[in-house]
Amino acid sequence: MADYDENEQQMDCALDLMRRLPPQSVEENLVTLLEALPELTEDLLSAVDQPLKVRQDSAEGKEYLVCDYNRDGDSYRSPWSNAYDPPLADGSLPSDRLRKLEVAANEAFNTYKELYYEGGVSSVYLWDMDDSFAGVVLIKKVNDGTVRSKGSWDSIHVIEVLEKGRQARYKLTSTVMLYTVASGAKGDRQSEINLSGSLTRQDERDLPVGDAGAHVANIGHMVEDMEFKMRNALQEVYFGKTHDIVNGLRSATDLSEAKNRERMQRDLFGQLKSRKE
Amino acid sequence: MSVDNKIAKAASLLLQSPPGEVDDVFNDIRGIVNDDGALQEHIEPVLAESNMQQFLIVDVPERQSKVLITPYNKVGETQYLDPRTRTVFTFDHLHRIGSEAQEAEETEDPTNLSLQEALQKELDKYILAHYGAGVGNVFFDEGRMITCIVSNRFSPTNFWNGSWRAVWSYDPITGELNGSAKVRVHYFEDGNVQLDTQTDFAVDVTKELDDDITARRVVKFIRNYEADFQQSIGDGYRQLAEKTFKGLRRTLPVTRTKMDWEKIANYKIGGELANAEN
Repeated sequence: MADYDENEQQMDCALDLMRRLPPQSVEENLVTLLEALPELTEDLLSAVDQPLKVRQDSAEGKEYLVCDYNRDGDSYRSPWSNAYDPPLADGSLPSDRLRKLEVAANEAFNTYKELYYEGGVSSVYLWDMDDSFAGVVLIKKVNDGTVRSKGSWDSIHVIEVLEKGRQARYKLTSTVMLYTVASGAKGDRQSEINLSGSLTRQDERDLPVGDAGAHVANIGHMVEDMEFKMRNALQEVYFGKTHDIVNGLRSATDLSEAKNRERMQRDLFGQLKSRKE
Repeated sequence: MSVDNKIAKAASLLLQSPPGEVDDVFNDIRGIVNDDGALQEHIEPVLAESNMQQFLIVDVPERQSKVLITPYNKVGETQYLDPRTRTVFTFDHLHRIGSEAQEAEETEDPTNLSLQEALQKELDKYILAHYGAGVGNVFFDEGRMITCIVSNRFSPTNFWNGSWRAVWSYDPITGELNGSAKVRVHYFEDGNVQLDTQTDFAVDVTKELDDDITARRVVKFIRNYEADFQQSIGDGYRQLAEKTFKGLRRTLPVTRTKMDWEKIANYKIGGELANAEN
């Protein structure tokens, strides 16, 4: 493939690599990739999901989440004050109309976050596109829990909105990063179990937009349904599927005993059968 | 970045490969480095380290035997010993093929050899009982009996791979038995979920005059510790599912009803936007 661009190949390989390497080390490994492929820095930063970081909006006295979507240079925009930290004179901002929607969405998702997460931090960022807009809903919850276990949940919902009169098409790509660690001790023996990673799902819907406010409700419903589904998927994959795989690697019961039992039963059955005949 | 530096970085990534995916990770690195000549020149020792780290299971050339590639049976630059058939062979880490099989020179003390064989016999019974597709070897290395166990299940078409690996070291003079077991699972259907868990053990097992008795005791400890480990993994799963996961996000709000987005949007948001647009 002569026109298969070198950068394109490197990008494909880098993304495949990140899907294979331990999610526990995503940040270190991304740094390694950025060092190896400095010309792809922007592409890699926007394509590889990393655990969300929390910042303090000192003007509003509220916490917000930072990711590649609210970054401009080395500064991050707060969804509460709309200001960049460190301050940027010409940082990119959403249009007035979109900023109003963003403020409303932040309030609504703050309520959503309290209902479902009973804590944590949420942030919504919107940006203008040609004839349309896109956005991201971020939620982070950390559970320091007990000494024996801790966990963190990061939701990243990227939404593309295509407005068509009184209808809009919403394309949702959702990633949930779930990190869990438990340490166990039996007698003097210590063990640590780290079960971490992420799942990604997509959804697409055409929904009516009566007024501008309907965008928030439409996006809200989609995110809520998606998180409901993903929570079930996470539970099944993390605590069902991967545990079954472990128990397939080593059998807790003695396989040779089971085989012996089977053989004995067969023999017994054979004897009974021949006695009848 | 210099080519050498790039290769060194690549090596650090390759050694993190999930079980059964070294080839995929290698191909990705190859695409990123984009310099096959330099890669080929420098990658062999990294692949060797990776193969030994993962206890690669290989067919011994010209013999009906399988053996693990580990640091404990590495007897030359690229040569490995299969203790079952007393064969030394050359191993190509890039293509993963053994060749040039020859009979091993006997340098080992016959008393050690007898214990090693007794351990292997007990280990084989244990593997048969608890590892459907597992392979185990007993090596003699630096005065110690090293027992290596690996059990892999690779199912890439169903988007998962897993590996159980354990190494046990027994010192017949001091009676010290210590070891560690490690389990890794990778699940990657529309995501990347990995289990990583490890544990360490140590106990004293006095060597008896009868090697069969010693071997039975050593393997019994190994069996018990690994059973405990498997059970503690199960306990960890329960803890994470029932405490940690539930504490992060509720299935439904306390009211057991979904959020009323219309109410919020219409009264609060709609109002604000309507005012703003007027």
